[in-house]
Formats: sequence, C-alpha cells, structure tokens
Amino acid sequence: MKSSTFTRASLSSILQPAFSPRPISGRPITCSAVAPKPQTPLHLRPPSFRATLSELQKWHIWAKNKASSVGSTFLDLDNGPESTLLHRELNWLVEDALEQPALLSRNNYDDATPVSVRARLDDLYDLWKQRIDERRPFQYVVGCEHWRDLVLSVEEGVLIPRPETEMILDLVEESVTQNAGLKNGLWADLGTGSGALAIGVARVIGSGRGRVVASDLSPIAVAVASYNVRRYNLQERVDVRLGSWFEPLNDVNEELSGLVSNPPYIPTENIEGLQAEVCKHEPRLALDGGENGMSDLIHLCNGAASMLRPGGFFAFETNGEVQSELLVDYMDSKVKGSFFDVNIASDFAGIRRFVTGYRA
Amino acid sequence: MSGANQMANSIVRSFLRFPSYSICSFTKPASACSRWYRNNNYRTYTSFRLVEKAYKRGFSGGVINVEVFSANYSCASSSSNSNSNTCETVGGKEYLSMTDDKLMSQCEMDTYKVSGPGGQHRNKRESAVRLKHLPTGITAQASEDRSQHRNRAAALARLRTFLALKVRNSVDLDNYVPPPELVQILPAKSTIRGSEKGSQIGPNNPKFALGMQALIDLIFAVEGSVADAAKKLGLSTGALSRLILSDDSLRMAVNEYRAAKGVKPLK
Repeated sequence: MKSSTFTRASLSSILQPAFSPRPISGRPITCSAVAPKPQTPLHLRPPSFRATLSELQKWHIWAKNKASSVGSTFLDLDNGPESTLLHRELNWLVEDALEQPALLSRNNYDDATPVSVRARLDDLYDLWKQRIDERRPFQYVVGCEHWRDLVLSVEEGVLIPRPETEMILDLVEESVTQNAGLKNGLWADLGTGSGALAIGVARVIGSGRGRVVASDLSPIAVAVASYNVRRYNLQERVDVRLGSWFEPLNDVNEELSGLVSNPPYIPTENIEGLQAEVCKHEPRLALDGGENGMSDLIHLCNGAASMLRPGGFFAFETNGEVQSELLVDYMDSKVKGSFFDVNIASDFAGIRRFVTGYRA
Repeated sequence: MSGANQMANSIVRSFLRFPSYSICSFTKPASACSRWYRNNNYRTYTSFRLVEKAYKRGFSGGVINVEVFSANYSCASSSSNSNSNTCETVGGKEYLSMTDDKLMSQCEMDTYKVSGPGGQHRNKRESAVRLKHLPTGITAQASEDRSQHRNRAAALARLRTFLALKVRNSVDLDNYVPPPELVQILPAKSTIRGSEKGSQIGPNNPKFALGMQALIDLIFAVEGSVADAAKKLGLSTGALSRLILSDDSLRMAVNEYRAAKGVKPLK
C-alpha cells in the first residue's frame, strides 16, 4: 500500500531549488551518492484499488464543481487556467486513473459496482485539491505529459515539455532530409529535462549509426530522462549524463552532427509574474535565463561554434522575437564566420521562436 | 448533355448552410472546442502558415486564387453556371486523393494562443488545432487529445470528411459509370459490384470519404432522388437508403440537400 501513495517533493525544495543560479561554466558538479528514483506516472500504475461506482461518481461531481468554482479567477490573477480547461484536465485525470473511464458516465448514482482504479479514492481527492488549491500543474498530478507522439513521465524538479518545443523535431527532420549524412553522427540535447528532445531526435535520426547524448545539471531530470529513454527502449542510442551543458561531453572525441536545446530563457525579473503552475512548481533552474534571459543561449552558441562539425546542424528555442534576433546578431558579430544558413523559425502561434543553422 | 446537371468542374456548394465553425460540431468533443474558441472571441488567434513552403514548391492554388474563389463561393451555391476559370481547377476528388502532407500544405493551421510570449512562460495545454483548407475555405478542428500532434492528425481526417461532404465533382448522368471508390462502399448485393471487388468498406475506413463523395456527387446529379441513384448503382432504393443512413455525416448531407429541394428527408 505504501508504494501507492503519491510522494512529492516538498514545497520548500521547489521554492528554493538546490542549484541556483545555474553555473555558466566551470563549477564542479557534485554527484549525489544515491540517484533519485523516478515516480511511475499514474496511467502506468497497476489498477489495484477498488472503489464503488457511486463513490467515484461522487468524487467526479465534487471535482467538477471545484473546477467550475474557479471560473476566470486564475485567468485574471496570473493568466492561469479557466474552468473550461480544468474540466478537460479532469477528463484526462479520469482517463489516467480508471481502467475503464467510460464507466463514470453511467447515470446510476447508487451503483455499488466495484471499479478498478490506479490510486486510492483519498488520493484522487488529494490530487484534485492539489491541482486547484495549490495550482500544482496537471502534468505533475498525473505524472506525465503527452508531447508530440510521446507520453513522457514528468515530476517536480523536471520542466514539463511545452507544445512549442515539438517543432524543434520538425526542424531536425527537415535538416536530416536535406543532409542524410547527419543521421549517422552524434547529436546532443543539452538541458534535456524530461528527455523529450533527446528521445524525439533519436526517433527522427532512426536506427542507423546515429546516437544522442543528453545532459542535465539536475539529478532528478537525469533520472526522469533515463526512465523515459528506457520506456521507449532507446537506452542503446540515447546516453543521459549529469552535468552542465557541454561539460559531460568532455570525453567525447567525436564532433557533433547536431545540437538541440531548449535552455532556460526567461529573464530573471519576469519569473515571479508567471502563472502559479509555472513559478511556484516548475524548477527555476529550467526557466531562469539570467538578467536578459540570454545567458545560457549565448553559452550554447559559443559551444556550438566549437563542438559542431562543419555542416553540423543546430536548433535552439528562445523566448521569441527579440531574443531570436539578438542571438542571430550575436552569431553575425561575436562568432562571425562560425555558422551559415542561420534562420529564425516561427512556432505554431506565429512567434519567431527558434534559431537554426549550420556550422561553417 | 443535360445542361442543368452540368456544374463547373468542381464547385463548393454550401448546401450545409452553417457558419464555418459549426460544421465541426457533428462530434461532441469538437463542439466543446468550438464553444471554447468562441468564448475567447478569436481575439488572440494567430496563424501559422504551413502553406508557404508549398507555394515555393509550385503549388498553384495560392492565397490570391483563394480570395478570388471566396468571391465566387456564394454565387456558386445560387447558380450552377459559374463555369469560369477563376473557380478551382482542382477537383474535389483530387483533394481527397492527396497525401496527408500534400493536403496539409494547402492548409493554414491555427492554434489558440494566449496573450504573452508562450513557451516556458505558460502551462495551459492548449493543444487544440484548427485547419483551414485554403482552396475551399473549409475548416476542421480537433481538441480531444492532449497532444497537439495527434489533434493535427484528427483534424486532417475530419477535414477529409468535410471535403467529401462539401466539394462536388461533375457527373455525366447519360454515360454514368460508378467510380471504383464508390463501388467499394456499396453492399455486396449491388448488381454492378463484381465478385473481385473485395468486401464492402465501412465509415471507419479512411477510403470511405472518397466513396461517400462520389455517392453525394451522384445524389446531387439526380436532384436528391434516392430511387434514381439506386438504379445507377444496381441497388434497391431500400438498400441505398440503408447505406446513406449508416453514416451520420452522409445522412445529414443528403437530407440537407433533399430539404433544399423540397423532398422529404430519409429516416
């Protein structure tokens, strides 16, 4: 029974991240002796609990009312979720928690039929309270995020992959279509978080000779990314390493064929104003990009100029618009001649978000 | 040539006289989605053009063509003699025969965008996708899935159904031979169905849309008469009625057209 309870990182460890601010270079990394054990997402837990249909329906009605009571409060407060979105999230919670989600829509309120659930009924109440009262992100509540065609495990301490970032894989796909040789080289995803990009890139470059190395400064991220890599049976092709940016690649002799990253890019002063789900619960380490948000992007850009092989491809996500332009300006001036075909690509919402190019 | 039935090579007939967003509301989840879009006033919509690259590759039905076409859109439904060159030269059947990539290249994709910079700033899981097929102006959307990627695939499948329902191909009634994609959706007892045609394709098969489109083309050509259409297909009137009633969107399309012609609906 004990294993079924939802362990979570204590709030204080979220508000005061273990690593802050992120070292730009050189700071030695202390490996903790015991690697953190990643949590199993709700939908992958065994349906070993029983509740009656009427008990679950009572919970469901309570949860719906709780979602409705939010109205546009969060939206007005900090651009948070509205009731409509919370209702949709509740449906997804039901999908993940119940073995047969369709049972809930039966209209028989005194039904004593036992239903198989992946969490205790008490846990379901707690989880939804956390979602609404504490603004705990839905993805942490269910322990996963649906991203592109993947379902990735996530938990406190790991950035929840964003839909915008899915597009980096389209950009990678385009680059390897134009230059098939890139598929057989070594790729890197730096600051991998949940491992989303590393796994995505490994699937795009296919099962040839190509490999991916992923790095992250956070031991929790490394543990979760490794878990996700194993879930997609890519452990032979994706190597997840602990450390800051390029540092874990020091012993890699091969030049990189490709480099992708979604580094922290939010200017420090903007962090406090973000919606509660993000600023109170997601790791600051993965969000805070320093004074103007560009610190890590510049570091990556310098690294790309030395680590990529000639013709090697890079794609970085930025805060959009001005940051993309500043990064391109930096490439044109400070590391002039290092890159060619430097481009800014827009995300699905039309924001100029990605900077791509090739090593000269 | 029985002139009255001769339409322009392909004309979008707005016989389903809904505003464009409600054509999406024939399934429950999508209707929730369109309500959600409307609540947000469309004001924070921005578009992402997947079409640009397609134009570079030489796709001819560009934005200008679409504007011309939009101007003809309403006249096309009131008179069937808009045989002008400004109308689309690509037939409805060709849209449906396109690969997903090709069809997608003719679409503009909208995703709902909150105010602010997006990316790491927000956590809203707005994964809904709305596709607008530029040559015809037909839209489809999907929001049921948590992943934008899969919603895009669902919206594209839905778009194929809408194209089948709304884009008409011309039919030569005098020399009518049912196209193979229509024969595939007919029940085995059809006398024009050879034994080598394989088993009947149902609505869940992706190829059903093409057959459905050809069937509606024929129904339009015979002005909504199921009995006349059945004769052309070697079926009894009852058997064709059952086929039409077996799929909700097909039934609605046929009944809308019959209502416009003053014929009572199939039940």
